[in-house]
Amino acid sequence: MSALLCAASLALVGTASAHHSTAMFEWGKEVSLNGTIKEYQWTQPHTFLWVVVDKGNGTTQEWGLEGMSPSWLGRRGWTRHSFKAGDKVSVVYYPLKDHRPGGFYVRVKGPDGKLMEALPQRGG
Amino acid sequence: MISTLLFRGGLAAICAIALAAGCSSQAAPPESASAGAAHSAAKNPYAALAKLPDWSGVWDPSFLRPPPGTPRPAPPKLTPAYAAQYAKYLAKNRTTPGLNFVSDVASCVPPGLPQSMQQPYPIEFLFTPGRVTILIETDHLIRRIYTDGRPLPKDPDPTYQGSSIGHWEGDTLVVETEAINTSTSPMQGINGHSDQFRVTERIRLVQPDMLAITTTRVDPTVFVEPYTTTSYYRRHRDWQIMEYVCEQNNHDALDAHGNPAFSLKDKPE
Repeated sequence: MSALLCAASLALVGTASAHHSTAMFEWGKEVSLNGTIKEYQWTQPHTFLWVVVDKGNGTTQEWGLEGMSPSWLGRRGWTRHSFKAGDKVSVVYYPLKDHRPGGFYVRVKGPDGKLMEALPQRGG
Repeated sequence: MISTLLFRGGLAAICAIALAAGCSSQAAPPESASAGAAHSAAKNPYAALAKLPDWSGVWDPSFLRPPPGTPRPAPPKLTPAYAAQYAKYLAKNRTTPGLNFVSDVASCVPPGLPQSMQQPYPIEFLFTPGRVTILIETDHLIRRIYTDGRPLPKDPDPTYQGSSIGHWEGDTLVVETEAINTSTSPMQGINGHSDQFRVTERIRLVQPDMLAITTTRVDPTVFVEPYTTTSYYRRHRDWQIMEYVCEQNNHDALDAHGNPAFSLKDKPE
């Protein structure tokens, strides 16, 4: 069973981001952040969420979160209007291994509370 | 001797003219059904396309597993030089979770055949007389496959998608491709091949809405014996091929060491 799951997750990794390797991310390690969208880029070959996070000490930090392409997301319920600047969001992402403020977004919850999945569900 | 040949040639030409004239003069009397069909096919080559299988719609390879019971493909048998490159890729894949293949594609160089057919975005087929055209969403790649009986061109310039001819064996389209740019990847995990690289694809429906493409790669500098894999594609009649401009917003170009970067430099203003 675990071998099956492993094979399934490997298969997903193999095609999830074929434009480039996913070696720079801790792929599969889910981390979350809360922030305000500065810009939602509905672009090829990848969408980007640029999110400003309040660090709580009077400073903020800007995060760059890459996602699947409009070709992929657009066929699975996302549009260029799914998010906009100023939206308060909660983002689950796979972090960069080098600890810079970036990663690959997995799912996003916007102001309306709707959870948007951005990657195929494991085992699904 | 020469005059005899000329004479024969001349006779043949006269006969051809006479036959053609006879043919056109038959237009007046009523034709049999088969003669009528042949006549209309000659007049309208598009009529012959009605006999081809229905491959309309958009075909998506993403995350599609083979039908249950499909045997696992045999691993490639590689020459020593390429076996070393492949072993290094597999080892990295084991030790670095999430690593997949690093190639120029990350820097928006288009994938060559056959990797171009196995991107996570869909493809579509156009049938026109004497030709099948495959449109690949990734990087807007176009493959022109001539099915009019012409041979492969002799010594063409190498290109990313190569030069292709095809023929129908029943409902299977068999495509032969040569002259693929030698810098491209012949399979996942390997970069580069020689100018002897040849690809044969057998494309057919295996279920009403599932297409299978069996791809055989031959290159004696890379493969000890031909290497064959099969990819599966699901039909989506309601999808359209979308625009894909890789240079639009690419943060993942390879760095000076050939490793995938993740640039956070071009932040929005």
